[in-house]
Amino acid sequence: MITNQKTVEPATGEVMISVHNLQKHFLSAKSEVRALRGVDQTIVKGEKLVVIGPSGSGKSTFLRCLNRLEEPTGGTIIFDGVDITSPECNINLVRRRMGMVFQQFNLFPHWTVLDNITTAPVKHRLMTRAEAVDKAMSLLKRVGLEEKAKSYPSQLSGGQKQRIAIVRALAMSPEVMLFDEPTSALDPEMVGEVLQVMKDLAEDGMTMVVVTHEMGFAREVSDRVAFMDDGLIVEEGTPQQIFTNPQNKRTQDFLSKLL
Amino acid sequence: MSSALDNLKSQFILNFVEKDRWRYFVSGLGVTLRITLFAVLIGIVLGTLVAIVRSTGDKLLPGMRKGPGRIFLGIANGLCKIYLTVIRGTPVVIQLMISYYIIFASSRNGVLIAIIAFGINSGAYVAEIVRAGIMSVDNGQMEAGRSLGFTFVQTMAYIIIPQAFKNVLPSLANEFIVLLKETSVAGYVAVRDLTKAGDIVRGTTYSAFMPLIGVALVYLILVVFFSWLVGKLERRLRASDH
Ligand SMILES: Nc1ncnc2c1ncn2[C@@H]1O[C@H](COP(=O)(O)OP(=O)(O)O)[C@@H](O)[C@H]1O
Ligand SMILES: [Mg+2]
Repeated sequence: MITNQKTVEPATGEVMISVHNLQKHFLSAKSEVRALRGVDQTIVKGEKLVVIGPSGSGKSTFLRCLNRLEEPTGGTIIFDGVDITSPECNINLVRRRMGMVFQQFNLFPHWTVLDNITTAPVKHRLMTRAEAVDKAMSLLKRVGLEEKAKSYPSQLSGGQKQRIAIVRALAMSPEVMLFDEPTSALDPEMVGEVLQVMKDLAEDGMTMVVVTHEMGFAREVSDRVAFMDDGLIVEEGTPQQIFTNPQNKRTQDFLSKLL
Repeated sequence: MSSALDNLKSQFILNFVEKDRWRYFVSGLGVTLRITLFAVLIGIVLGTLVAIVRSTGDKLLPGMRKGPGRIFLGIANGLCKIYLTVIRGTPVVIQLMISYYIIFASSRNGVLIAIIAFGINSGAYVAEIVRAGIMSVDNGQMEAGRSLGFTFVQTMAYIIIPQAFKNVLPSLANEFIVLLKETSVAGYVAVRDLTKAGDIVRGTTYSAFMPLIGVALVYLILVVFFSWLVGKLERRLRASDH
């Protein structure tokens, strides 16, 4: 029932991010690694795109180019009508509108949970401190961690840290959320609580780009699945198409190894 | 036996008590502490700036787009490298004399010149300490900061540097102890520090033992005391992981 609704949605809708011929080459001492070899993508408002693929295929690089944590070597990224790869673009302002969640959480260990969440919106003068605290507390409540506001990250479990990291990103009221293997560093018993927060977020209509190995999540939540291999998106489609009827040989191999 | 003790006693009285000679030592100690404290403060500010430029340069320059930012960082990075090489490649007493007799030849404020010279010297060593501290902070911290829209400078100031400092606070405190002893050459530029005080008394009483051993003891007590404080600080820091 869910998949029926969602298969029609992405085609319409307002474009949020469009990526054209994205390339990223890493220069190391001896060789050049071509992490992205020309990726094209269009992500519409409210869409949930899940990116899958073997390790080293360029999934993280793709995601990190979207907010220019990696500088693309070539191609363009249009976010909300603005070319964010152009030299005139102030990427710091763009990043305020894109939340990012990392595999390793990357909470700030010298700050309390509350300061982790409120410092960015307050320093950017998007909110007063009181407003930011209010917003942080209601977000914390939503993820069931309001009693941890005064704790330090070192006092939290992995699952709690990742839920806080999601809240930290949400506190900026982003228009899109980028997730890079958000559950890969977690003990198995904590994966569920983080995926649940992400599912709730998806239901609220957030635009999401998620790199993950959680195929159950991909099947249940995504509108579209993109399979990456060797710096290219070699196949994409609805979760239905990709998981039950993959066309590309490499997609088939990858999925058969997982199952 | 008792004549040896009597001799020591009279030496003590001659070098410390007579004509209130102890005052030389007390005021010398004050000068030593003042030079050390202010020099280490200058060193920390200067060293932190240099450390930021050096670690930023090493990290960003290879992958940076051509433009004014790259040129500016390249020049700053080069200047910092020269500074580190020159300061660490020459004796501090020569730097002190160059400051006093050449650079600030028009000023005879020896203490101030010593503070500046030792501060600039200390900055080079602090820079390496802080650089190690910056490198000890996980790369993900910078990425998380930048992903929230903080500029590079904001991320450094709010997120990286506080953690870097925490990691190297004991080493920075140690730098204070090292500097405390190094300032003993301040007498070369007419500064009456603790060492010079001993020297002055030795010159008037014509006895070497008491003033020199006395000065050595004061340094030793200070160093042992501050080392003990650093040890306490280290244990406190290890106990709290935030
Ligand atoms: N900073 C880097 N320097 C050099 N090579 C890199 C860097 N980051 C990633 N790569 C290389 O780019 C390729 C794609 O990496 P990545 O995007 O992390 O893959 P994935 O996330 O799919 O596992 C890999 O070959 C990886 O070794
Ligand atoms: Mg990855």
